[in-house]
Amino acid sequence: MDGLNLHIKKSEFFGFLGPNGAGKTTTIRMITGILTPDHGTIRIDGHPLEDKQKIASVIGVIPESRGFYEWMTAVEYLGFFADLYGIAGKEKEERINLLLAEVDLIKRKNSRIGTYSRGMRQRLGLARALINNPQILFLDEPTLGLDPQGQEDIQLLLKKLNAKGVTVFLSSHLLNEVSNLCSRIGIINNGTLVAEGTIHELQEKTKLKDKTLTDIFLHLTHKSS
Amino acid sequence: MFTHIWKKEIQGELYTWKSMLWLVIASLLFSFTSYLLLTNKELSLLDQTELLWLLGKIIVGVALLILTIDASSIINVEFERETAESLFLSPVSLRDFILGKLLASITLWAAVFLVSIPYIIVTSAGSHLAWAFIGYIALLGMLGVVGFVFLIFGISLLYRSSKNTITTSLIILLAFATPALFTSALKNDVVSQVFSKINPIDNIFNSLDNVLVDYKISVIENWQFLLPLVIFCAITFLFLFLSAKRFTQQGIIRND
Amino acid sequence: MIRPMKKTFLLSVLLLCVSFVTRAHAAEAPPLSMQILSSKTLSGTAGDYVTVEGQIMNTGLQAVNDLTTYLSLVDTQNKLPVDLEDWSAEKGLYIGTIDAHQALPLNWKIHFVKAGTYSLIIVAEAAGYEIPQASTITKFNVSPKRNLNPRQVLPVALGTPIILIFILFLVTYKRRVEE
Repeated sequence: MDGLNLHIKKSEFFGFLGPNGAGKTTTIRMITGILTPDHGTIRIDGHPLEDKQKIASVIGVIPESRGFYEWMTAVEYLGFFADLYGIAGKEKEERINLLLAEVDLIKRKNSRIGTYSRGMRQRLGLARALINNPQILFLDEPTLGLDPQGQEDIQLLLKKLNAKGVTVFLSSHLLNEVSNLCSRIGIINNGTLVAEGTIHELQEKTKLKDKTLTDIFLHLTHKSS
Repeated sequence: MFTHIWKKEIQGELYTWKSMLWLVIASLLFSFTSYLLLTNKELSLLDQTELLWLLGKIIVGVALLILTIDASSIINVEFERETAESLFLSPVSLRDFILGKLLASITLWAAVFLVSIPYIIVTSAGSHLAWAFIGYIALLGMLGVVGFVFLIFGISLLYRSSKNTITTSLIILLAFATPALFTSALKNDVVSQVFSKINPIDNIFNSLDNVLVDYKISVIENWQFLLPLVIFCAITFLFLFLSAKRFTQQGIIRND
Repeated sequence: MIRPMKKTFLLSVLLLCVSFVTRAHAAEAPPLSMQILSSKTLSGTAGDYVTVEGQIMNTGLQAVNDLTTYLSLVDTQNKLPVDLEDWSAEKGLYIGTIDAHQALPLNWKIHFVKAGTYSLIIVAEAAGYEIPQASTITKFNVSPKRNLNPRQVLPVALGTPIILIFILFLVTYKRRVEE
C-alpha cells in the first residue's frame, strides 16, 4: 500500500473498487486489524485499532478467507460466534433464528455446514458478520458465488441495513452492484487510491461525463498502471 | 472467552472418530504391554515394581507421542482451513486462542490418562502402589505434556504449517526419548549425564523408578526430577511467548 | 676335607627330601575350610536377589597364594547343573593371598531365576595346588514367584479396548445420522 488515506462517514455506503492485486483485501485486513500496517493510523468509530475488544464489538466482517467449521451446523456456528461476542440465553437464540431467516438458511439450520453449497456458505458468512449487530460492516466480495437471485437478496439486505444507519464498506468486482448500492466510491490500483467520490464526482474528475462506472474504472486503472 | 474455544475443540477435534481411534490404539498398546509383562517367561520374573515401571514408561511415552501429533496441527489447522481470519475478527485474543487450544490438548492427555487407569490398578494389585502410581503418572505426565505442548505451539506459530510443525516436533520428541531409553551403563560420560539431568523424559522415567522401585513416594523425595520438569515448562513457555509476540508482529494472516 | 663334603651331601639329601615333601603337598588340595554362613536364610522366591555370605579360612601353616573361589550350583530336583550366567554376575571371586589361620568373608549376589531345589557348593583353587578344595553342600529352595495371574489382567486388557471401540462406532454412527 502506498500512502492510502480514507475517511468513511457514518452511515455511508462506501464502495471499494480495484483490479486483482490492487490491495483491496489488504486494505480491509489492515482496517480490521488482521494485518499490521508499517506506518499510519487507523481509527474506527473514534477508537484506535489497539482497542481490539471495542473494535470487534462494533464491526462485522465478511473476510476473504471463507473457511467454516464443517462439522458444525449453522445454529452451532452462529452460536459459537454469539458466545464469543458475549451474546447469551434467549437473546442468542432469537438473534440466530432471525439472521438465518434473513439469509434464507432457516430450513437448513440444523444441517452440517459441510453439506452446504457455496452460495449457502456465503449467506452464512453474512449472518456471522451480523451476529453482533455491528455498526460498521466490512464486506469483501459478499455476493461472490451467488446466483442472480441470491445477489439481489443480499443487496436488498445490505440496503436495509444501511438505511438503519449501518456503515457499509463494500469491496467488490461487480461494478453494477457497487454503482447500485454505494453512495461513494474509492478506486484503488497498485496500492494507491487513484480516485474517490460519488459517481458524479468521478465523472467530473475524469472528464467522462455520461460514462458508466465501468468506463471510469477502466480509464482510471489503465491510466494509473 | 477461551472456554468457548476449548469447548469447540472438544466437540470438533476430540469428540471425533479420529481422536477416539487414538484412544483405542493407546488402550491396545497398554493391553499388549500389561499382558506381555505378566505372561512372557523372562519378563514375568521381574519384580512387580519393575513391571509397573515399564508400564509407566509406556503410558507416558504413548501419551507424549499422541499429544505431539495432535498439538502439531491444532493451531495451524485454523489457518489451513481458513477459519482463523473469522475467529480473530471476533473479540478473541491470541492469548484466549492459545489457552483454549492448550486446554484441548490437556483434555486429550486426560483422556489417555483415564484409559490407562484400569491397567494401572490391575497391575498394581497387591503392591500398595496403585495410588502413588496413578498420582505420579498424572503429575509427571501433566508436566511433560504441558512442556511439550508449549514447545510445539511455539513452533506452530513460527512455521504456520502443520506439516513442518509435526516433522520438527517428532524429531524433537525422538531426540529426547531415545537417550532416555539407554541404560545407565551407556550414560557414563559427562555430556550424557548432563543431558540426562535436563532431559524431561529422563526425569519422568527416573522419577517413576524412584517412586515405584525405590518406594520414595513423597514429592520432596522426587524434587531432583520434578524441578527440571518445571524448568522445562518455564523455558518452553518463554519460547511460546516469544513466538506469539513475533506472530502478532507479522500479523494474523501473513501478507505474502 | 671329607667332613665338609659329608655335610654338603647330607644337606643336599635334606633339600631333596624337602622338595619331595613340597611336591607331595602340590598333589593335595589347599588347606582351606569354607562354609556358607547364610545357609539358614538362603531360600527365597524366584526373582529375589539374595546375598550368599560365606567364609574361607586357611587351616594350614603357610599362606595360600593366588586364591580364587567359585560358586557351583546344581538343580537337585532335575539333577542338572545350573548355568550361572543369569544367576550371578560374579561366578568367581579372586581372593589373592590368605595367610595361615586367616579367615576372610565371601559374598555373592545371586538372582533366583527359577523355582526349584538346589545344592550350592563353593570351590577354591590356589597356585601350587593341583586339585581344588570344596566346601560342604548347602541345600536351599526357591519358591515359584507369586505373580499376578494373567487371567486377572485379561478382563481389563480385552475389555478396555472393546469398550473404546464400541464408543468409537457410536460416535461415528451418531455423526453419520446427524449428517
